[in-house]
Amino acid sequence: MRVVEVVVLVVLVLTLGLLITVGFEYIMPSSVVRPLAEFYLYATYNPYKLNEYTAMSPEAVTAIVWDFRGLDTLFETSVFYLALIAGLALTRRLLSEHAEKPGYGLSLIVKTVTRITAPMIIVVGASIALHGHLTPGGGFQGGSVIAVLPMVIIVVFSASFLIMKGLTTSKMIVVRSLGLFGIGLTAITLLLVSLVQGTHAYVFQNMIKPDAQVSMPVDIAGALISGTLWFFNLFEMFAVAAGFSIAFIVLMLARTLQTEER
Amino acid sequence: MTSLEIINTYLLSVVLASLLANFVISLYAVFFKPHYIKKVIALTIFGDTANTFAIFIGYRRWVGQNPSRIPVLTYLNPEAVEEFARLAVDPLPQALVLTAIVIGLAVILFLVFLGWILYSHYKTLDMREIRRLRG
Repeated sequence: MRVVEVVVLVVLVLTLGLLITVGFEYIMPSSVVRPLAEFYLYATYNPYKLNEYTAMSPEAVTAIVWDFRGLDTLFETSVFYLALIAGLALTRRLLSEHAEKPGYGLSLIVKTVTRITAPMIIVVGASIALHGHLTPGGGFQGGSVIAVLPMVIIVVFSASFLIMKGLTTSKMIVVRSLGLFGIGLTAITLLLVSLVQGTHAYVFQNMIKPDAQVSMPVDIAGALISGTLWFFNLFEMFAVAAGFSIAFIVLMLARTLQTEER
Repeated sequence: MTSLEIINTYLLSVVLASLLANFVISLYAVFFKPHYIKKVIALTIFGDTANTFAIFIGYRRWVGQNPSRIPVLTYLNPEAVEEFARLAVDPLPQALVLTAIVIGLAVILFLVFLGWILYSHYKTLDMREIRRLRG
């Protein structure tokens, strides 16, 4: 067994050495980026010279995630959805959401502080998500921040407290499905508009393209929303927050059930 | 090549070497640690190392005396856009890492669920024990 371990280690080191030899000039950063990255940086907010290719978002990462490579993100969202569905399917038999009495939880001080900080967590998460096209952040990060709240409540109060307050997994699945539905609807909005108008447009189109002249609104009353990006971030925030809440609730409920069985 | 550039290259090489060491150690742990949870932890370390590696590849050296910038535009005028395209780091790896983190989290969640099922079946998470009990 020791021989196998040593052989595996040696092979790993040699392979990585080969990788460095072949790709050193691509791996080591230089002061020029690749032409593709240069184009993305140049086009992310450029109504001056690249009006037909720009995403109208000052944040290049969000522009790539939801505009230039939007389909990638769509399938990534579905991978996340499938992993959650698989988890729920695996734990189907073990789970029962009948909360008779809430657990004791932690002390009164911790509970009061949690009650004060709970709205703040939601506000911070919503702010990160809704400013995703202006500052670092976006739907994924905002949703993950909001998903901290059920986790904190489960630890400080108890899992059955959360169930008694009405935050059940079935409701969370509804919220999650609505978020995904919103993402899909935003992706085909311009297509529907162009069908009504009799012109043509692309799926996942945001701003005008050379051969598709329909466009999402760049701003609402002077506040930049970058077309579809704001809506995508909003719906993704709901989807991610609900998805992680489901996972936390299921994991923690299962733990309580197992301790009760013993 | 000035001495500043040599120091810069040296520091970047140190980062690269530690990332590669991290790759080897985490893969080794995934293969040979007997406990399921330790395997999962090693897998998260592997994923984080891969993400850091992607960010590292997208980094941009200083252009002359101008430090490289984050890929977020702070002033909206034509000159700022030109300067931004000249100085900002590569945003593409960052966008890929952003999605990779969420996928990684979902996969880890699935593995945790799987480990829980494994535990309720075998009453142990030691892979040697499970291999012995199987069948």
